[in-house]
Amino acid sequence: MTGLLQAVVTGLLIGGLYVAISVGFSLAFGVLDVVDLAVGMWVVLGAYTGVVAQEWTGIDPFAFLPVTFVVFAAIGWLLGPLIYRVRTSRYALPALMGLAFTFGLATLMRGAMLSVFGYTPRTVQTHIVHGSWSVLGVVMPAIRVIGFLFALVAIGLFLFFLYFTRTGLAVRATAQSKESAGLMGVDVKRISTLVYAIYTGLTGMAGMLIGAVYSMSPELGLRYTLFAFFVVVLAGLGSVLGVLLAGLFLGVLQSLTTTYVGADYTLMVVFVVLFVALLLFPHGITRRRTA
Amino acid sequence: MTSVGARPSRQSTVRMAGLAALVVIGATFPLWNGSYSVRIATGVALWAGLALSWNVICGYAGYISFGHVAFFGIGGYTTGILMQPQHGWPFLATLPVAALVAAGFAAVAGWPALRLKGAYFAIATWAIAEAVRELATVSGFTGGSGGLTLPVSSSSTFFYYAMLVTTALSYVLCYVLLERSRFGFRVRAVRDNEAAARAQGIDATRVKMEAFMLSAAIPAVLGGINAYWITFINPDSVLNTIITDQMVVMVLVGGLGHVWGPALGATVLYLVNEQFLTSFGSSTSYIAMIGIIVMLVVLFLPDGVVSLLGRGRRTGLVRQLLGRAADDVRPGRPSDEAAGSAGRSRSR
Repeated sequence: MTGLLQAVVTGLLIGGLYVAISVGFSLAFGVLDVVDLAVGMWVVLGAYTGVVAQEWTGIDPFAFLPVTFVVFAAIGWLLGPLIYRVRTSRYALPALMGLAFTFGLATLMRGAMLSVFGYTPRTVQTHIVHGSWSVLGVVMPAIRVIGFLFALVAIGLFLFFLYFTRTGLAVRATAQSKESAGLMGVDVKRISTLVYAIYTGLTGMAGMLIGAVYSMSPELGLRYTLFAFFVVVLAGLGSVLGVLLAGLFLGVLQSLTTTYVGADYTLMVVFVVLFVALLLFPHGITRRRTA
Repeated sequence: MTSVGARPSRQSTVRMAGLAALVVIGATFPLWNGSYSVRIATGVALWAGLALSWNVICGYAGYISFGHVAFFGIGGYTTGILMQPQHGWPFLATLPVAALVAAGFAAVAGWPALRLKGAYFAIATWAIAEAVRELATVSGFTGGSGGLTLPVSSSSTFFYYAMLVTTALSYVLCYVLLERSRFGFRVRAVRDNEAAARAQGIDATRVKMEAFMLSAAIPAVLGGINAYWITFINPDSVLNTIITDQMVVMVLVGGLGHVWGPALGATVLYLVNEQFLTSFGSSTSYIAMIGIIVMLVVLFLPDGVVSLLGRGRRTGLVRQLLGRAADDVRPGRPSDEAAGSAGRSRSR
């Protein structure tokens, strides 16, 4: 029984980080109409930023989180207009081209990181937190708890922005209908760029936190892309509550599989569930598709 | 829509002469070249075929598959397993089996997955490919991560001809099926407007499935030949995501939905890759370069290198698609009026 509880708690803690990856991704999907295949690469890049920052400056990566957000948001701010341009272009298949573009971006990031860091997995080292807490026989490593809390704060700020500011209102309007929002005086291009910037910032930051929990290598980017996609598909587009639940579910699913089936099968179980989910809920999915 | 209509006979003659020259060069290549060149040429043939297969599902059927490496790997493993001493199949007999296994797998995976669209299909195939790789890594009959060793054959000329003939036959098959037969029209009709195609009495599900199976069988045969060629396969070598990456970039660079685009893209990029390997000795910078090329092509040359050859020689779908999109007032939504010129879309 404790084993089960342990697995669930571990899963929930890591699930919070998956939520942090997915909320921005989901919003960028809704606003830009592009599945960013590079989402996993932003995660990995975030983790490597933590590693490099630690090695060069000796500052603890956790103190670095706000800087990470700013840096990644700046990169996203530069890339956003390009994606917007491809997506709204008059090419033959703009949706496909948008997908191909982010795929190229993901491949570029993977190749660049492999060139610089190699295949050896790295971990973000932090000294602020260590050890673990034990509650009712359930062991909770401090690093995971802190990571979870950081993720909660980031998600909370993000939701505050989305639901309690005027710009957030414009973002939500754009996600619902670009044309209507544009007619109401929303600068769709600027909003799209802003959303992409926030998304990259959030994902990079979450990546740094994940890098402190799990070791990270450029080859793992795809895995986090699939995780983020898993969450968004399961949640249904535009549903923030859905993203919260699905992210936590993914964490628990992963943890339970690792505990009871074996770590080798984790990905396979996740893939199978994702595949089945895609088949069971094509309706919630296809409603918003424009491809 | 007539993609290949009546052409001026002079162009047709030039075309035939070019094709004949290619055939002669291809057939006699090992006679006047060293083993290194033959090896490179074998690689070019392999990748031209792989890129072609990806073009079938993406360029013609309009479905992005990010899991095509699965079929390549399945073909390689089928040949590899059947050629193990305890089974002892002759090499050539394994190739049809490889094609059948991959096509069957495509049918099983495609039956549910082809109901998904766009990014969802892309991710589903990606997940399938990753699952296949995981499976090959943990299973016993594939040799796990240790891989499989195949009997060694010393004749590099044999592999050159095997690759070349397979790829050439695939091109002929795809050309006939997709550009010269009703099947091709059905596939494109489903891609352009599935509801309208269904209303015309086309069994869209079946057509998509057939296209997917065709697109799966080609890499499986090539994968089988490749396995025997390199004599040792493991999940890292034949189920690596980079193989899908390469197919995508080759088709995009060559020209999406064009018959000769993939061959052109594959030849150029494979030679660039070899050059990269000999000059830098690293393949990771090549991955980064692929990414940059994809982004640049999408931004500045969305219809590929083929479009640089001049409008007179540009045939096929790309022009029509672009012509259609160029007339579209609202971005991102293809209008139903198929008219307009091709060049306009690139004027931005």
